[in-house]
Amino acid sequence: MIASFLQALVNGTLAGAVLALPALGFNTVYAVLRFPNFAIASLATIGAFAGWIANVLWGWPAPAALVVAFVIAGAAGAATDALALRPLRPRGAIMAAIGSVALDLLLQNAVRFGFGNDPRGYNLPVFRDWQVAGIAIGPQEVEDAGLALVAMVALFLLLRFTRIGKTMRAVADNAALAESKGIDPARVAWIANSVGFGLAGIGGMLVALDTSLDPLTGFRVLLSIFAAAVVGGLGSIPGAVAGAFVVGIGEEFSTLFLAPTYRTAIGFLAILVVLSFRPRGLFGERAY
Amino acid sequence: MGSLVSRRAVLGGSLALPLLARTGFAAAPIPLGAINPLTGAGGAYGPSMAKVAQALTARINGAGGVLGRPLALDVEDDQTNPTVGVEAAHKLIDVNKVVAIVGTWASSVTTAVAPLCWQSHTMLFCVSGADSITKLPHHGYIIRTQPNTYLQSGRAAQFLLQRQAERVFGLSAQTPFAVDSWNRLAQVLGQGGASGIGDIIYDPKQISFRSEIGKALARKPDTLFLNSYAPDLEILLRETYQAGFDGKRFTFAYAATNAVLKALPAGVTNGLFSFAPSPDLASPAYRAVQGILGVNDPDPYSCQIYDHVSLVALAIAKAGTASGVAIHDNVRKISQGAGEKVSDPVAGLRLLAAGKEINYEGASGPCDFTPSGDIVSCKFLFQVAENQRNKTLFIS
Repeated sequence: MIASFLQALVNGTLAGAVLALPALGFNTVYAVLRFPNFAIASLATIGAFAGWIANVLWGWPAPAALVVAFVIAGAAGAATDALALRPLRPRGAIMAAIGSVALDLLLQNAVRFGFGNDPRGYNLPVFRDWQVAGIAIGPQEVEDAGLALVAMVALFLLLRFTRIGKTMRAVADNAALAESKGIDPARVAWIANSVGFGLAGIGGMLVALDTSLDPLTGFRVLLSIFAAAVVGGLGSIPGAVAGAFVVGIGEEFSTLFLAPTYRTAIGFLAILVVLSFRPRGLFGERAY
Repeated sequence: MGSLVSRRAVLGGSLALPLLARTGFAAAPIPLGAINPLTGAGGAYGPSMAKVAQALTARINGAGGVLGRPLALDVEDDQTNPTVGVEAAHKLIDVNKVVAIVGTWASSVTTAVAPLCWQSHTMLFCVSGADSITKLPHHGYIIRTQPNTYLQSGRAAQFLLQRQAERVFGLSAQTPFAVDSWNRLAQVLGQGGASGIGDIIYDPKQISFRSEIGKALARKPDTLFLNSYAPDLEILLRETYQAGFDGKRFTFAYAATNAVLKALPAGVTNGLFSFAPSPDLASPAYRAVQGILGVNDPDPYSCQIYDHVSLVALAIAKAGTASGVAIHDNVRKISQGAGEKVSDPVAGLRLLAAGKEINYEGASGPCDFTPSGDIVSCKFLFQVAENQRNKTLFIS
């Protein structure tokens, strides 16, 4: 039983680390623009396909391909927001959120039109698990978690020490006050979208590295991303990370007591519990 | 004074006019629907199924249609999703007024669509495998060209016994046929001296199955039965390899697609056994499907939808009228019995016009059906993955 417990903890931690990146992206965008952008699912898929082009067609190694995933998903996120969602934002968060669902479906089908439905794989070897005291640990998953950690640290440094990060935090804390101090909200929105969806692109590629790459890669983790963001606190950067680990580990632990069929219900359960007892999430709305 | 002609009739007539002008038919088209998985988990098959249905419809129309009327085929995408499938069926039945729907693929979609069909007396031709489908109270309005789960799983178990499997563990995506498949497989394994030691049903939308695999391998199986679709099979193959499993792995051919094999290193997929109901490779209808798709080895579902369209056309011709009831009453009269064997629907239509009896044998096989709508028999193709491609072992 202890071995099963530890194995679930390891699996959940590694899954949570990968989930944390798109959740961070989701909350970065929410913190600045104040609406849930569900197009993050397809933008994560776009990042995964961009990384696939770099890795398989150009022969680039995975870390370099992740940079391509960040740039392309970030650019696509900023561009699609400017074209499709910015006109909707003055009509309220609900309208923008509904628009983002439509945008997600549009992008998903655009990927399908361009790449087809067949699953694809990256040009990377698959390694056997390490066995550590009876616990199986996947080298690829550890590497993915490490890369996710690097991206998370980079985001924290960006927000903490750079002028861009400070303007983003200022807008997240009080958009009206920030604008009165001369901060251009449109420019900050563009930066938040680029960074947020860039992180989602990296997360999408990391998910695809472990699973399969097809037009639904991002959609399959959308519920978990949303659950992580809500559990941690919508708009909260550290909350997204904490929420991702809670959801990742919670889903794995559920399999110790429930049939695996019910595993994905844990995401819904987490959302319900948090909204019932702590609507602002574990970390509230504090962006940083 | 009320309008003598409804707006819908005017609209329908105006939409039909270009078709009539184009095809040279004086009579109104016979509306026919196809619900195919153009996207989603079945997206590897839907586009080719739709292409075959459209090409055969065009060929029949080019040869004079059915009873002097063209077939008007409307293809809808179900996204391999029962909710979307039901929306598509409502549109086809309520708006298009189709006489039959062909080519539903996923068992969940067929199960959801079937009540709409039998309630409206619309014939439903499916390629889904779940046993429960033909046990529905469909009153004869379902015809299935895919062998049911009982037939498939029994044959799968015999193959595993031939390969000296002794301890088989099942990892099954949550589908309407998951439980029936496993129960039949375990039953035949038991009769052959092996054992089905356990089965886990999983949610296929997960991104990792490490916990499920850990539980399975803890039971020390020598064979894993992966009852999966393509996206989850890719993850299962990767993660069972990572977990150090070196035993036999067996799955359905619709999951072990060449795309899945190419997405993973050969070392991960080599030795994966898969099977599928085999089309009749010697049939002229099979060669017709090869020609339509431009490939040597068309998938079984494209072959089956060729037969669906053929059966619809021939049953209508036999009945002398186009309706779901007419197809229901006549489909077995043209697909089995002592009539002249035909594999070309156009040739069959000519024979029927000449007053002859026919027995259609199609691309997928004999097309003989039980009273409940299941096929009586078919052959199976067994294959093994080698260097990122499926290699045929045998057909029997």
